[in-house]
Amino acid sequence: MEILFWPIVSLLSIGIMGSFLKLDGDALAFILTGAITAGVVQVAQLDVSYSLLYDIWSKSIKHTFMAPVSQFDYIIGSWIIGVLRGAIVFAMLGVFAMWAFHFRLAGAVPTLIFACGIFLSALVIGMLVCLLIMLYGQRVEVTAWSLSTLLMLVSGIYYPVSFLPKPFALLAAAIPLTHFLEYYRSFYGYTPVFSNSLLTGFTLSAAYVFLLFWLLGFAFEKARKSGMILRLSE
Amino acid sequence: MLSINARDIHKTYRSGFMGRKKNHALKGVELSVNKGEIFGLLGTNGAGKTTLLNIFSGQLAADSGFVEVLGHDISKKMPVSLKEELNMCSGIPNFPWSLTVEENLKFYSLLYGICDKDCGDIIQNCIKMFSLEKYRSVRYDQLSSGNKQKLALAKSMINNPKLLFLDEPTIGLDPDIAKKIRELIRKIHGERDITIILTTHYMKEAEELCGRIAFIKDGIIKAVGTRSEIVALTEGHNLEEAFIELAE
Repeated sequence: MEILFWPIVSLLSIGIMGSFLKLDGDALAFILTGAITAGVVQVAQLDVSYSLLYDIWSKSIKHTFMAPVSQFDYIIGSWIIGVLRGAIVFAMLGVFAMWAFHFRLAGAVPTLIFACGIFLSALVIGMLVCLLIMLYGQRVEVTAWSLSTLLMLVSGIYYPVSFLPKPFALLAAAIPLTHFLEYYRSFYGYTPVFSNSLLTGFTLSAAYVFLLFWLLGFAFEKARKSGMILRLSE
Repeated sequence: MLSINARDIHKTYRSGFMGRKKNHALKGVELSVNKGEIFGLLGTNGAGKTTLLNIFSGQLAADSGFVEVLGHDISKKMPVSLKEELNMCSGIPNFPWSLTVEENLKFYSLLYGICDKDCGDIIQNCIKMFSLEKYRSVRYDQLSSGNKQKLALAKSMINNPKLLFLDEPTIGLDPDIAKKIRELIRKIHGERDITIILTTHYMKEAEELCGRIAFIKDGIIKAVGTRSEIVALTEGHNLEEAFIELAE
């Protein structure tokens, strides 16, 4: 239930605001897509981030790292749970938006592709949070809640990235979620700012996942040298 | 055959701005632990016992030196396959607090890849071995210190390790509970093909359990041998007097 509460509150407030502003169907779909995305990304990325944070909060991280679990198992296992929970949130928010605001999905295949893009973006954000925690310890745990919000702000969650100041629009181009949002919103008549949205989104996601696994390997080894894992268990 | 072979191990902890503050915790440790023995590591607070144990268990990397654990060189990297053969129990145990005894054991059995049909039997055996039957559905944060320690020991046996690290397993426990824990350690050692490395501040515990003992001071191994060999190195009459003399 708790995974649905905040996403539904957010969807309701955005949807009611859109109705108050008398947005037409496509414009309302534009911002509702953002509200659904924000809810799903947050739920799915938190499952990846929490895999490490729960261990840190219970001071049991040394037991986890003593076990024969590779970083790949650790991250991907948590992500799969995030995908399952995120898929439930996605479906519930979609149905709720259709019922409450006459939101229409852009077709089964584009929706499925868009969902894959959201889940990959969540994986990248969750891995980035884990990397920062392994490097800087519990003092950066706030990134678990703030990083996705900041990245969504830059990736044009409720507006086209062309509305952002130029440096931020450039930064948006490096965020996979920007391209997945642009791809899905193109079905509501909005021309993407960047070309080849899908290809760029998936290529960036794959590159970041590979890079982050490599960096996590480095961070875990650094934590083993510095004693960070043991300090996080005290 | 050796379970642990450590040569010239150095470890320095760095803290403060740009890591300028240094604490040289281990200064060329040389140590061998035979397969199947209970080996005691004694030393004063901050002597380097836990640091050494953490290096052997792969949770901490040495700055330099050679460390071989169960025939695997872990000086540079800890192989994931070796982790299947090891486990650890700390004196101040911490586990996911919202999970019950049974759920915690299930969680760690999954982490150790024990998810086949025998998993349930293994968990039940661990619960029975450490007399945790009454507490199987009790959340970790509602357990007494003694039962938390029993759970820590039960968790450390979940993968039937070949090498077990016990870091001050009876610290802060009432004498009767500490005695029961010692009996359980002896029982585990008697029933299984296992090497145990134990750190402790309690001389009685070392005398009761350990075949050989190493005394570490300021990051250097000062003496290694059986209880009587350690005592013979000093003017003391027992291990406690030998400890005090070696610590001075």
